[in-house]
Amino acid sequence: MNDYQNILEYFNQLPTLVKVVWVISIALFTLILGLIAYLKILRINLRRNEIKRIKYQEIYEEHLINYLYAGDNIDEISTEQREFINKMKKDISIEFNRNILVAVMTKLVNDISGEVATAIYKLYTETGLIDYSLQKLKARKWEIIASGIYELTQFEVKHVYKEIEKLIKHPHKEVRNQAQLYLVNLFQFKGLKFLNDLEYQLSEWNQIQLLEILQKFDNQEITDITIWLKSTNISVVEFALKLAKVYNQFESKETLLELLRHDNKELKVQTINVLTYFYDTECKTYLKSNFHQSSESEQIAFFKLLENVAENSDEDFVIENISHPNFKIKLAALKILKDINPDKFNYLEIAKNNTDAKRIIEFIEHN
Amino acid sequence: MSNKKKIVLAEDNSTLSLLLKFRLQKEGYDLFIAADGKQAIELIEEHTPELILSDIMMPYISGLEVISHVRNKLEMKVPIIVFSAAGQEEMVLKAFNLGANDFMGKPFSPNELVIRVKRLLSS
Amino acid sequence: MDSSTVRIILLIIHILFFIYAFSVVFSYIFLSFISAIESSQYLKRNSFVNYNEILSSTVSPSISIIAPAYNESLNIIENVRSLLSSHYVNYDVIIVNDGSKDDSLEKLIKAYDLVNVNYLINYQVPTKPLRAGVFKSTNPAFEKLIVVDKENGGKADALNCGLNISQSKYVACIDVDCLLLEDALQKMIKPFLELTDVKVIASGGVIRIANACEIKEGKLININLPNKFIEIAQILEYLRSFLLGRMAWSRLNGLLVISGAFGMFDKKIAIDVGGYDTNTVGEDMEIIVRMRRRMEEENIKYRVAYIPDPLCWTEAPDNYKILISQRNRWTRGTIEVLKKHRKIGFNPKYKLLGILSYPYWFFYERLAPIIEVIGMLYFAVLIALDNVKWDYAFAFFVSAYLFTIMFTIIAIYSEELTYHQYTKKGTGFKLLLVTLLEPFVLHPFILYAAIKGNIDYYFNKKIKWGEMTRKGLSKTES
Repeated sequence: MNDYQNILEYFNQLPTLVKVVWVISIALFTLILGLIAYLKILRINLRRNEIKRIKYQEIYEEHLINYLYAGDNIDEISTEQREFINKMKKDISIEFNRNILVAVMTKLVNDISGEVATAIYKLYTETGLIDYSLQKLKARKWEIIASGIYELTQFEVKHVYKEIEKLIKHPHKEVRNQAQLYLVNLFQFKGLKFLNDLEYQLSEWNQIQLLEILQKFDNQEITDITIWLKSTNISVVEFALKLAKVYNQFESKETLLELLRHDNKELKVQTINVLTYFYDTECKTYLKSNFHQSSESEQIAFFKLLENVAENSDEDFVIENISHPNFKIKLAALKILKDINPDKFNYLEIAKNNTDAKRIIEFIEHN
Repeated sequence: MSNKKKIVLAEDNSTLSLLLKFRLQKEGYDLFIAADGKQAIELIEEHTPELILSDIMMPYISGLEVISHVRNKLEMKVPIIVFSAAGQEEMVLKAFNLGANDFMGKPFSPNELVIRVKRLLSS
Repeated sequence: MDSSTVRIILLIIHILFFIYAFSVVFSYIFLSFISAIESSQYLKRNSFVNYNEILSSTVSPSISIIAPAYNESLNIIENVRSLLSSHYVNYDVIIVNDGSKDDSLEKLIKAYDLVNVNYLINYQVPTKPLRAGVFKSTNPAFEKLIVVDKENGGKADALNCGLNISQSKYVACIDVDCLLLEDALQKMIKPFLELTDVKVIASGGVIRIANACEIKEGKLININLPNKFIEIAQILEYLRSFLLGRMAWSRLNGLLVISGAFGMFDKKIAIDVGGYDTNTVGEDMEIIVRMRRRMEEENIKYRVAYIPDPLCWTEAPDNYKILISQRNRWTRGTIEVLKKHRKIGFNPKYKLLGILSYPYWFFYERLAPIIEVIGMLYFAVLIALDNVKWDYAFAFFVSAYLFTIMFTIIAIYSEELTYHQYTKKGTGFKLLLVTLLEPFVLHPFILYAAIKGNIDYYFNKKIKWGEMTRKGLSKTES
């Protein structure tokens, strides 16, 4: 008691600033004690949950496999299967278990097709998991909506496409992205209709994802891509160019040639790349005449094209560019020359200071 | 000594591997399950299976290296089926170059796999 | 000088110290807060990303991993194996053997069936010449590997050589002894492909400490907390720096440094600005500052991204001697970079970079050790003159200590709530114990190293240049 009074007396005679500092210190100290105590609890919970998660994952894996092999007829649900469904219905009312079950089912359905996959979709509906996913679409938080769409995609729930189409213009990028993935995963090329009036930019990442999904399917009948090549949305044009290349859309060549006159330089480069892939010769005259006005990346792309399709008539143009300051163009020019006129290449006179060209020639000769 | 034919299955998706194990056991094969390429090589060396099923992308040692090890180091002629995901066409080509006999693109149907397994093991 | 002038001068000094201390506290609280927001958003954004969809070889952009190696013979085979096992498809691995005096090259040739190939190099960035040349494997399983053998020129020079060799759109520059997780490339490339309204010029990764972790054949099998105090203390330091500091700076788009041990760049921009600077020991920080500076000067909207996932693991110094030499070098690197780019500091033309990032780095990284030492000397003088107001001193000391502790505990929390890598029982207790002791045990060494770095920089040119030539990339100096 005496000590306490002494401390109190000491504190009272202190200058205000020091008093404030002590008050802060005491607050910090209490906070730290609280944080330490909670850290202990947090770590215990995390560890417990992890053990529980692994346990349930194993249980559900085994249940799921048993379920899949318990039915003799895929169209009918056996009594054994019905029992499992009822048990699951109870389990999944707890979010923790529901997430694990969905994860296990997703993992399998990703790698499996055919009857087994169909059986899993059916299970998703029968257990009522589908209702939880649909409920998520109505949530306010974007991450919940997105995960709802993700689940509906994984288990191929086609009949809700109208709901999902509405979300294609959602203000949050991730929701839009998931909605696009849903449409393309479930309706393939038909699902790409959203590109017609897309206002947002489609990121490179999205484009790659969409292409990957399209390539998964056996049905590779692509719809007409001209409308997208002519889109005012640059990213849609970029995506259409990728489609043109992957699906060999020779018939869109006219539109591609028009794109060479586009304002966007990067787009022009990508167009040249597609034409290179098509071994197109028609674009040569235009690109040659515009060569000096184009950006360096366009010039490099054009020379890549020439490497595929150069003819004797290109010789002068190619020789002109042997001393081009850009290394890649120099290399391409010399390679082309060797192809179209080996004699000329062998007796080429290179300016003394053009050391790069000399190295390139030596390299080409030895390969 | 059982006369069941032995299959080593290397696959890091535990659910898929369990599903295939049940399925192939039902067909009368003896299954050894590896979760990664390293375990696969150990099981192959220990059991000299009649068939190897292997995913291409796996932790620790890839399916390609498993094939390379089986064909070049162990000099075994055992048939190998690889599983690949979409977009791994290049890897599949490499797998064939290294000596794989067949491939299944994911997602695949387990029934189809059983047909191919039977075909390879009966000839 | 009469006593009233002295008193006024002292008062001004006191006020400056007070402002400094207060602003440190404030900035730490501010950064923690920002980092909490950014971490939770990052995790939400990436919770249902299917990284497998981006693996395809035909459409996803190409990446080169560039790993300089200097006398790494001991572990080089394993390290290369780890780099070759990434799950990304469209990538290659360029090992630049920077004039090693050991048998690294012979070992690589033998282990990976390498042969010398004719390779045309576009010397966009000048480097030291090649020695034995360029090697590739005859085994299709190692098709992605390129080994370059060149004369010694230091880490920056080796990285530049890799930039010249690479044919890819993006380059990931890493220390060869780093262990990369298999999905590292997918995660690091994501910001480059994802943002449509700004140009991403680089993305930085987190460095995690691999001491005591179980590693087999270049793979991380088991994550363990090391036993030595010095190692655990560094783990806490890294958590603070990567999960709180850099996370917050990335949110503000003010990140000034990407760890040299793991960062990804847009190759074209990295080459356009001239590659790595071979005249500094802080080349990893320098190139970022230079790239940012270029973007600001050309008025391009850009971003330096940051990926907080634990993707890159490396061995940290486990004794004070090596730790001190590492921190000495870091200090000199910081001084050199800030000096070289003095122009951007406090310059509103460089926006956030000039008025926030640079000053922050200058005051709280560059000057912090100096101010701390001045404070200590001042306190010593006061003790000598028996002029200490112990009431003040004691109260401030306790609150400063408590604040440090709290900040570290927040860092531990951010780890537990995000990645929770140390799952074993008892590690929480160890981390807390080290948290309490670290300010008294590790910090003095760090402070000493920083001061020594300053002294070496200003007064010991010989050491500076001596180190330049033998500056290798040995494991301990990563």
